[in-house]
Order: sequence, then structure tokens, then C-alpha cells
Amino acid sequence: MKQKTTQPPPAVRMVAAGLLAWFLPGAGHLYVGERARGITLLVVIALTFWAGVAAGGVKNTVNPQDRSLWFLGQICAGVHPLIAVVWSRHLTIPEGADPAGWISYGQTEEVGVVYTAIAGMLNVLVIFDVLGRVDRPELSQTRTGPARTPRRASA
Amino acid sequence: MTSLLATLFIHPLPIERHHLWLLPLCLAVALVYKTTKCAEVREIPVAALISWVTIVVGMYAVGAALWLLYHFAA
Repeated sequence: MKQKTTQPPPAVRMVAAGLLAWFLPGAGHLYVGERARGITLLVVIALTFWAGVAAGGVKNTVNPQDRSLWFLGQICAGVHPLIAVVWSRHLTIPEGADPAGWISYGQTEEVGVVYTAIAGMLNVLVIFDVLGRVDRPELSQTRTGPARTPRRASA
Repeated sequence: MTSLLATLFIHPLPIERHHLWLLPLCLAVALVYKTTKCAEVREIPVAALISWVTIVVGMYAVGAALWLLYHFAA
């Protein structure tokens, strides 16, 4: 007797996994059942992104107007740059305050921007990885057996 | 606690030895790459460590080569 499967169709699962992986780095892997990988990716990408924000300050590290090309990389980290953009929009520098304490310049600025953009680009790798795991249960489980079987040589 | 966290992200850090920021960044790259590539989860820490050392040594070697080129050949 056949059991009814409750999983959505593969195409839906693929779209859901890809969107989840973009929106919250690591969530796509959690969705396909890769708990350890998902938690690792979630923590590492979040730490990398927010380390960049801490280095450069939230006010101008993620800045779609002035650094649109860098922003293309940063936005790949999903919800993290969105939070940073909203936060920076609502943050006003008090009158009379030294802007240098709020806006980074030079190498400090570079470190912040590079960290956040690389976090986003790493998430692109993660999105492609999770798309490849959606309908491949042999990859979507933490295996304890021998290593992956070699691929057949193409003719 | 909330204000401490806010302060951490609002005010830029005073970075002096900026090249040391390469180390955690390379660790993040190695960890994410090996998390996607390793067949078994338990292989990830060692593979990421080896990859991290390789990246860091490679980056510093390239940096040293460019420094030598700039100072002696240019």
C-alpha cells in the first residue's frame, strides 16, 4: 500500500528553498533537512555580515545610493542588509556630534564594505548549493557511510 | 545590553592593523565553502581549517610578492 507524501512538488520545494536561502542564509538548508549545515551557514554568514557592520558602522556600510555595485553583493545576504538599511535610515547623527564617530572613512570603511559584500556573495554559493540538494536526498542527509559515489564518466 | 549592542554597530571601530581583518574573513570563506562541499558534516572543521591556512598563506604570499615587486622592480 502506497503512503501519501505530504511534501509539495519539487518545483515548489526548489523555489521555497531558494527564497528561504536568500532571505535568511542557512534557512534553505534547514528547509531541506540539513540541520547542521544550515545552522553553520546561518551563524557564519550572519557573523561575517554584522562584523562588517560593526567595523564600518551601520550608518554608511550598507549604502545603496553611494555604493550601488557593492550593494548588489550585500543584498544577496537577504534580511541582514535590509535590517542594516532600515536601521541606517532611522539613525540620525545628533547636532554638534563629530561625524567621524558615526561614519567610517578610509580603510575602516573598506573593511566594513568588503565584509558585508563577501557575506552576500557567500550566500550566493549557499543558494546554489541548496538548489542542488532539494531533490537529491542522498545529498540532503548527514551521511555516516562511505564518501559520495563517483560520478559516471561522460561519454 | 540593547544599548551596548547598538553602540557596537553604530560607531565604527578604530581599525589600525587592517590586514589582520583578513584572518576572520578567510575563515568565514573557508567555513562556508567547505560546508557546501564536504560530503559529511564531521569532515567540515578539519577541511575548513586546512582551507583557511591555505588561503591565508596564499594571500600573504601574493601580498609579499607584490610588495617586493613594488619596492625593488618598479
